[in-house]
Amino acid sequence: MKCDYCEIIEMKKNLLYEDDNIVVVVRDIAVTPGQISVIPKQHFTILEQVPTEILTKCAIVANKVSMSVFESLGSHGTNIIVKNGTGAGQTIPHFSLDIIPRQENDGINTQWKSKQLMEDEMDMAFSTLKDAVDMPIITVKKLPDEGPKKIKDGEWGENYMLKSLRRLP
Amino acid sequence: MQPQQQLTEEQQKQLEEKIKNMSPEELQEFQKQQCIFCQIIAGKIPSKKVYEDETCITILDVNPAAKGHVLVIPKEHYAIMPQIPDTEIGHLFRIAQKMSQVILKSLQSGGTSIFVANGLAAGQRVQHFMIHIIPRKDGDQVLDLKDKVIDKELVHKVQSAVENKLNEHLGVKKEVVDVEKHKLEPVKKSSQKKKSQSEEKDTPEKDLLDTEEDEIEEAEEAEGDTSEEPKEKYGDVGLDDIANLFK
Repeated sequence: MKCDYCEIIEMKKNLLYEDDNIVVVVRDIAVTPGQISVIPKQHFTILEQVPTEILTKCAIVANKVSMSVFESLGSHGTNIIVKNGTGAGQTIPHFSLDIIPRQENDGINTQWKSKQLMEDEMDMAFSTLKDAVDMPIITVKKLPDEGPKKIKDGEWGENYMLKSLRRLP
Repeated sequence: MQPQQQLTEEQQKQLEEKIKNMSPEELQEFQKQQCIFCQIIAGKIPSKKVYEDETCITILDVNPAAKGHVLVIPKEHYAIMPQIPDTEIGHLFRIAQKMSQVILKSLQSGGTSIFVANGLAAGQRVQHFMIHIIPRKDGDQVLDLKDKVIDKELVHKVQSAVENKLNEHLGVKKEVVDVEKHKLEPVKKSSQKKKSQSEEKDTPEKDLLDTEEDEIEEAEEAEGDTSEEPKEKYGDVGLDDIANLFK
């Protein structure tokens, strides 16, 4: 059976953007209307199989999609989600980054009940993970002109970035 | 996880007034001083730190959705993702990928959820950007989001509304988005037949977007019958097992 995403890519269905490595697609089966997925063209089943270069690109494009959603759909927020593995509810065996536009009181629940763990359970999880993180420290080269993005007031009406800053702590 | 005591009504009002009159730069600085995660990063508040480099740290969430729930947090204070430079976003997701791998391998979880919330409406609880990596298993009721079929008209509306903005954003940063070509051989091979079209990638092709009606319907039917995976196998799954579940 052909993978659903491979089919979407092949048929160029509801495409927003396409290049050699990725496509950006508006979803017709989605959590909220306006949900958009960034999908690598090559068929990777789970996140762990995606090469760094492609993952990096997907993440950067997902951020641009999220910004576009804020600006053009007037969303109050966005979620960016990867469902990785069947245990996480992944149904299509092809990695994607999903951008979900949100409105206040839209009835979507992304809060979880925090799990009450005993001190020693936390310690166990901590030492297991710390031992397993067997990787060198990765440093990133920043581009010379890259710093935090400046926020300009009134650029897109009530600026969504400014709004996020004005929230009371 | 509230760092401060409750404010009196008057203090609250004063604070609101103060915030209203601040410039974006002052606001950013003010928010930074209040931010509990900036204090964790500075080491003023203890945390269970799994990984650290120049740009970010990874710690265990103190209010986890599951055992092993970790947060990838940039050291610089950003309230939401649109403020973060591209290279840093790439790096944060790269670390998130590593953490997900570590969780799948060492905690034998049946999957992971990578979760980002931008803005209060999206369920963002603290004003410091972070990526959640949550170990998952069937029926744990974490991020239980239901998909529904979206009206075709609405899909097309969204498409035409978002397309220009997205191209604007992608066009400006084109050189940053470019990836090292030589490492992408397999991808190129598979997309060779589309090459002639994608060569003019700066102006995404409008004519590609009008898909035919019957094709759409076919795809919708296909969407319904996703594969049924053996669900009882979660005891000791590895990476390959998860990949195989879908085959």
